[in-house]
Amino acid sequence: MIIPVRCFSCGKVIGSVYEEFKRRCEEYKKAIESGEKPKETPKEILDDLGITRYCCRRMLLSHVDLLKDAAPYE
Amino acid sequence: MVKIESADIKEREARLVISDTSPYFVNALRRAMLREVPKLAIEDVIFYENSSPLFDEIIAHRLGMIPLPTDLDVLVPREECTCNGEGCPNCTVRYTLSREEPGMVYSGDLQPENEKWRVIDPNIPIVELFEGQKLILEAEAILGKGKDHAKWQAVVAPGYKYYPIIEINQDKLDEDSIKKAIEICPKKILEEKEGKLVVKDIEKCTLCKSCVEVVEEGAIQVRGDETKFIFTYETDGSLDAKTLIIKAAEILENKFKELEKLIG
Repeated sequence: MIIPVRCFSCGKVIGSVYEEFKRRCEEYKKAIESGEKPKETPKEILDDLGITRYCCRRMLLSHVDLLKDAAPYE
Repeated sequence: MVKIESADIKEREARLVISDTSPYFVNALRRAMLREVPKLAIEDVIFYENSSPLFDEIIAHRLGMIPLPTDLDVLVPREECTCNGEGCPNCTVRYTLSREEPGMVYSGDLQPENEKWRVIDPNIPIVELFEGQKLILEAEAILGKGKDHAKWQAVVAPGYKYYPIIEINQDKLDEDSIKKAIEICPKKILEEKEGKLVVKDIEKCTLCKSCVEVVEEGAIQVRGDETKFIFTYETDGSLDAKTLIIKAAEILENKFKELEKLIG
């Protein structure tokens, strides 16, 4: 659905970094597709955002945004 | 007497080395931080209009999880307040949120009645509104404890481990086994200096004993010091790391005093 506010396991707030993470991952994907060397890998992005534990990292890495699909239903 | 040997306390995270104590004491401190330290969080939400894709309950839950700045000198728990649980400015902080245009609604859109209570982290998405959807609500935040709900838990991932002791018998090691031990260490804390095996950063050792297994028996001994601990924790930002541990210690002290009174 929408990114959870906190990590399910440890309770760290992860919602606040999701949009930045997504934006920087898009840049990474674009660079890979055009055959250039990416500025940073998803690993480095997570480290830079201060998401160190693997419980918090999976929250961001495995999240699928489905809110748009639910949008027509109030 | 419990001693704090080194303390690296930042705003939102801390690492302490506590010595001359036992696992029971350090665990009591950890549990006091988790369960007893009060914190502000949204408890009641009144929805005036919600045509967003998420249910009222989900939005209310998401609002509850948002960390709010907590001033324990000003606020009192609602059940102890002079207003008898009705909700006055001493025990309740009110927020309003109103959005009618499409786009993401963030925690920063919550309007407090006093700027002092503005949400610390303004970038947490609450819900996305699409064409023609509205979200108008009022929220009341009160003090609570972690034992009642995780939203009132100010500490994140508190934990401790024994302080590592690594004893190396250089006579039983040769060039080959030194290389093996350095290679197998998952934290890469071993290194070679003038033909001898030395430890670089002992606090990073996880007591995994991988190095013990690859060398001759008795060459390396790894164990934990049962009177010395490395204690680490983070906070969600509602209280700073220093206030949090002091508050937890105070609560623990009062509990012991109460016990003493009951026995005495």
